[in-house]
Amino acid sequence: MIEFKNVKKIYTGGIMNTIALDDVSFLIEEKEFVSFVGHSGAGKSTILKLIYAEEKPTSGEVLFNGEDIANIKPKDMPLHRRRIGTVFQDFKLLQKKTVFENVAFALEVSGYPNSEIQKSVPQIIEIVGLSNKAENYPHEISGGEKQRVAIARALVHRPALIIADEPTGNLDPISAWGIIQLLLKINKLGTTVILATHDKEVVNNIKRRVITLDQGRIIRDHSKGRYAI
Amino acid sequence: MIILTLTRTFKAGFQNFFRNGSLTVAAVSILTLALLIISVILVISISANMGLKYVQDKIDIRVYFKSDVAEQDVMSFRSEVQKYKEVKAAEYISKNKALDDFKAANAGKPDILKAVEAVEENPLLASVNIKAANPEQYDVIAKSIENSSYRNDIASINYQQYKLVIDRFNSTIKTIRKTGAFLFILFSLIAILITFNVIRMTIFNHGTEIEIMRLVGASNNFIRLPFVFEGVIYGIFAAVISIILLFPIMKIVTPYVVGSAYIQIIQTDFTRYFVLIFLAQLVVGVLLGIVSSILAIRRYLKV
Ligand SMILES: Nc1ncnc2c1ncn2[C@@H]1O[C@H](COP(=O)(O)OP(=O)(O)OP(=O)(O)O)[C@@H](O)[C@H]1O
Ligand SMILES: [Mg+2]
Repeated sequence: MIEFKNVKKIYTGGIMNTIALDDVSFLIEEKEFVSFVGHSGAGKSTILKLIYAEEKPTSGEVLFNGEDIANIKPKDMPLHRRRIGTVFQDFKLLQKKTVFENVAFALEVSGYPNSEIQKSVPQIIEIVGLSNKAENYPHEISGGEKQRVAIARALVHRPALIIADEPTGNLDPISAWGIIQLLLKINKLGTTVILATHDKEVVNNIKRRVITLDQGRIIRDHSKGRYAI
Repeated sequence: MIILTLTRTFKAGFQNFFRNGSLTVAAVSILTLALLIISVILVISISANMGLKYVQDKIDIRVYFKSDVAEQDVMSFRSEVQKYKEVKAAEYISKNKALDDFKAANAGKPDILKAVEAVEENPLLASVNIKAANPEQYDVIAKSIENSSYRNDIASINYQQYKLVIDRFNSTIKTIRKTGAFLFILFSLIAILITFNVIRMTIFNHGTEIEIMRLVGASNNFIRLPFVFEGVIYGIFAAVISIILLFPIMKIVTPYVVGSAYIQIIQTDFTRYFVLIFLAQLVVGVLLGIVSSILAIRRYLKV
């Protein structure tokens, strides 16, 4: 489903250029559950950003279902992004919209009918345990709650691929495990899941493929991996 | 999908309008001010033109001939006057016609009619009624008549009473023509610039929001249209507020422009123009809102 071929990403600007990814290649098949782990700054978020095209590779190719993302026309980019549900590391919630509206937004942009929105949004909000906060604005809820809104928005349109950048970063261990179980369940139903995380306990409990990054390079890729750096 | 996009983006624009608070107030007030200035300029020139037209229709130069002057002399005077390039029309009014007109004008007053009939000879004078092509030319026409070879046949030239009014309108219209067009263009430009900047500020405030919408897969239209609709709502609000403010402002301003004597006439005509002015404001306001939003959001839409 996703293939990186000799991908290099250099961020220009700042005091000096940063080589965030250096000759990274891997293949993720449909219905896989893959965790990217590594120290802060290792390049985890960069890999995810290249997939949903927030960033472009400096060299190399990023293929989505065999198609090079660099070849997607600007007007088709929204369609590409709608295939993916993304949980951003910094949540990226719309501040002027309520929790309900934020989750509904993912369906609205894809043109889902209102009846579908009225049905699915409360369901997913219920699943992440925020029913009583549905009418609150993002600045009125806690960090962990924001994270769960971001997860609900990523799941609600049932995308073929879920990308989750530190989805448990602000959660206590029990809530964190709840979210991971949710992701595992969705994966079981056929959705590909790509996770970036620091959380050792989480990774060791998932018992799925783990790709370890260090300074922009892949140093380990194990199909029942453990967190080992 | 198109209808869904339109209703959803309209709703979002509407929400932005009410959730933006102080920026909304700023944008609407600026737009209102711009519309108001433009319409005051427009209204002043409309009312000055109406006043002038009204007076122009009324005014003429009446040249009365002494009663012993022969009709053919008056006729030849008329045909000579008609040759002046400043003269639009010259109408001969015979003594009999003057008498008939006089009787018609005083139809309800038997004592006056009796008094006129009591006089054996027609007491009224023959006259030529002259209309100028341009109100500024009455002076010139009157002067050349005074200096013409007919001056000894002329009993009186009647036009002084309008002179002040004409002068007033002429100078007003001249200033308006000169400064009005300039001010109109200037303020339209200022209005566009300010509205553009205010909307750009609101969009700048939404910078991260736009970024998020793009990352979640919103199309350009889905991002742009709420701002366009917001601009439309700005325009509608501004038009309504400025038409409400325009009425009292014009009540204060018009007397200075056209002189209080003519205010009555102008204001009755004016109410007819109000619907038109409101529609114009609506169109200008909405267009300003739309154009400003589209321009302001353009640079945020690169993928
Ligand atoms: N927009 C940017 N401009 C410049 N440098 C950047 C940018 N984004 C990331 N970097 C740099 O690229 C490197 C990789 O960043 P990335 O966000 O991928 O790390 P990460 O593995 O996600 O770290 P973390 O665990 O802290 O989220 C870092 O050194 C970072 O400073
Ligand atoms: Mg990161």
